[in-house]
Amino acid sequence: MTESSKTGDRPTSHSEPSPAPIHLRPARDADIPALLPLLLRLKRLNEEFDPLLKVREDAEQQARQILKADIASAKAVVLAAEGVGADREKVVGFVRAHVRERAFYAPEHEGVILDIYLLPLYRRRGVGEYVLSEVTNALKAKGAEIVTAEFPSQNEIAARFYTKRGFRPITAVQARSL
Amino acid sequence: MARSASPPVDSDRPPRRKTDRSAAERSEELTDQLGERSVELSRFYAGKIETVPKVPVRSLEDFALWYTPGVAAVSRAIQKDPDLSFDLTGRWNTIAIVTDGSRVLGLGDIGPHAALPVMEGKALLFKVLGGVDAIPTPIRVRTPEEFIATVEAMAPAFGGVNLEDIASPKCFGILEQLSKRLPIPVWHDDQLGTAAATVAGLLNALELTHRSVREVRTVLLGAGAANLVTARLLLELGHPASSLTLVDQKGVLHAGREDMDELELHNPWKFRIVLRTDGGGRTGDLAAALHGADVLLAASTPKPDTVRPEHVRSMAKDPIVFALANPVPEIWPEVAKEAGAAIVATGRSDFPNQVNNSLIFPAVFRGVLDARARSIPDEVVLAAAKELARGAGRKGLSAQHLLPTMEEPEVFPEIAAAVGDTAVRLGIARRKLSHDEFLERAKTLMGRPATLVRALARARLTPPMPPARPSRSRTR
Repeated sequence: MTESSKTGDRPTSHSEPSPAPIHLRPARDADIPALLPLLLRLKRLNEEFDPLLKVREDAEQQARQILKADIASAKAVVLAAEGVGADREKVVGFVRAHVRERAFYAPEHEGVILDIYLLPLYRRRGVGEYVLSEVTNALKAKGAEIVTAEFPSQNEIAARFYTKRGFRPITAVQARSL
Repeated sequence: MARSASPPVDSDRPPRRKTDRSAAERSEELTDQLGERSVELSRFYAGKIETVPKVPVRSLEDFALWYTPGVAAVSRAIQKDPDLSFDLTGRWNTIAIVTDGSRVLGLGDIGPHAALPVMEGKALLFKVLGGVDAIPTPIRVRTPEEFIATVEAMAPAFGGVNLEDIASPKCFGILEQLSKRLPIPVWHDDQLGTAAATVAGLLNALELTHRSVREVRTVLLGAGAANLVTARLLLELGHPASSLTLVDQKGVLHAGREDMDELELHNPWKFRIVLRTDGGGRTGDLAAALHGADVLLAASTPKPDTVRPEHVRSMAKDPIVFALANPVPEIWPEVAKEAGAAIVATGRSDFPNQVNNSLIFPAVFRGVLDARARSIPDEVVLAAAKELARGAGRKGLSAQHLLPTMEEPEVFPEIAAAVGDTAVRLGIARRKLSHDEFLERAKTLMGRPATLVRALARARLTPPMPPARPSRSRTR
């Protein structure tokens, strides 16, 4: 993504502002090398919000195992976002979610959106909407009756995104170092 | 200025190294001397501006007209129609110079008290160059929200607001919000003034080298307040995004850069421009960006040798180099010329082609105040830039005379009139004058302060400057 060539020249297929729609599909094992850097970018971004979200040194290994397990799991959703046109078959983002059981509350099956990441060029109006509706549908198909989203408390962009779409805070997680 | 005249490419080090250093030393010494004298004179005059009555006061009875009870009727009239405050008070010509002192000159975050002498100086420039009554108003606020709320609360007293010396990137949000909320023009010189003067110089440089903004490859070095707005204005002028490259300390700004997520959070203005330009199709470092480029607009943190002769040599034929960092330009003009630059501009007055925002802001405010404009959209900024560019032609446009200097004041009323015309055309003018009316008015109002200053000096109301005390730096 950030490789720099000697001359600096590269194709300018998407340098003019234009709608950059994406296409979501279930992720496969073969996507893992492309998904890894995206997942790590997201976690490193979370570090910006709070030092208590400092990324572990072995995060890359962790990420590889988690992606592999989630792609295989019946209780998880991993969707890969592909570009369209010239960027077809290029993974430009992903969404990852789990279906969890709520021990005390009804409805019992909760779909938790854990990660949404899109490369900056693909973050245009409407794309977030599309990602949210696709992952919600996939979670519903796996039995979810309520959908929640986890993100750092300081991430106001995410908070605004979900609030605008009818979400509200239901659980707070607070932390201090020991 | 053909590139064939430049020295061989393998001479890595510019031969003028010695003169460069002494130029830097000379300028430092001069700055020291001016500083000492400025403190001396500030103590002597105890401030640079004061308020002066503009109405006759023949006897104490006249206060019954200017103040209570007479003035109550004026208040009632304005209560019915707040816009009458532009007719019945000095609001039409009064602006606030507001700063939080968070980025004053090259001094950094020095706070509101220390910013006051700078704001007073700016007020003096506003008065003498633009005929504008400007009130220095440093405020002690902690957050952008507090800043915005404070200025909003002050707005009824003013016909315009000049934001000054606010750190980037918070200056973008403050200007954006205040422009939206206030019914009067809001301006931030470090963004708009510098960008307008830069664009004016660039338009003339392109004309001299027979190129159009629609077909050049441009590199902007430094992505602070001025260059981000310059980039926006260039795009509005039709510069293709695909040949516009922004470069910051970490290299070319393109959409794939690792720090883009961080940028979206902390500097969405920079983020948006980077999404639009996406490196102008380039990645890598400054050298990769400049290869084959027509134009370099450098407005970065002052550091010598940021731009090297080999960078300039790698540019397209007849390169245009603006090295605007102050006081030390990114590359010394002589060095850039030797490396083949066809046209060089700096931010300094001791070299030809000074890109100076004092060429812009007094005339812009004259224009928007005379039109009683509600805002300053980019069309107005561009109108000012284009008129400034045209003004250079009066004395003959050349590579040595790219922009008018401060000694060519004829151009200022013309800029004010162009600004007024544009405000009328855009439907944001409360008062729609003709071009000639704007021009005449600007000439009168911009000419008045000089008469005033002379009269005050003649009457000894402004005492002459005391002789300078022998100073340390002078006897060295």
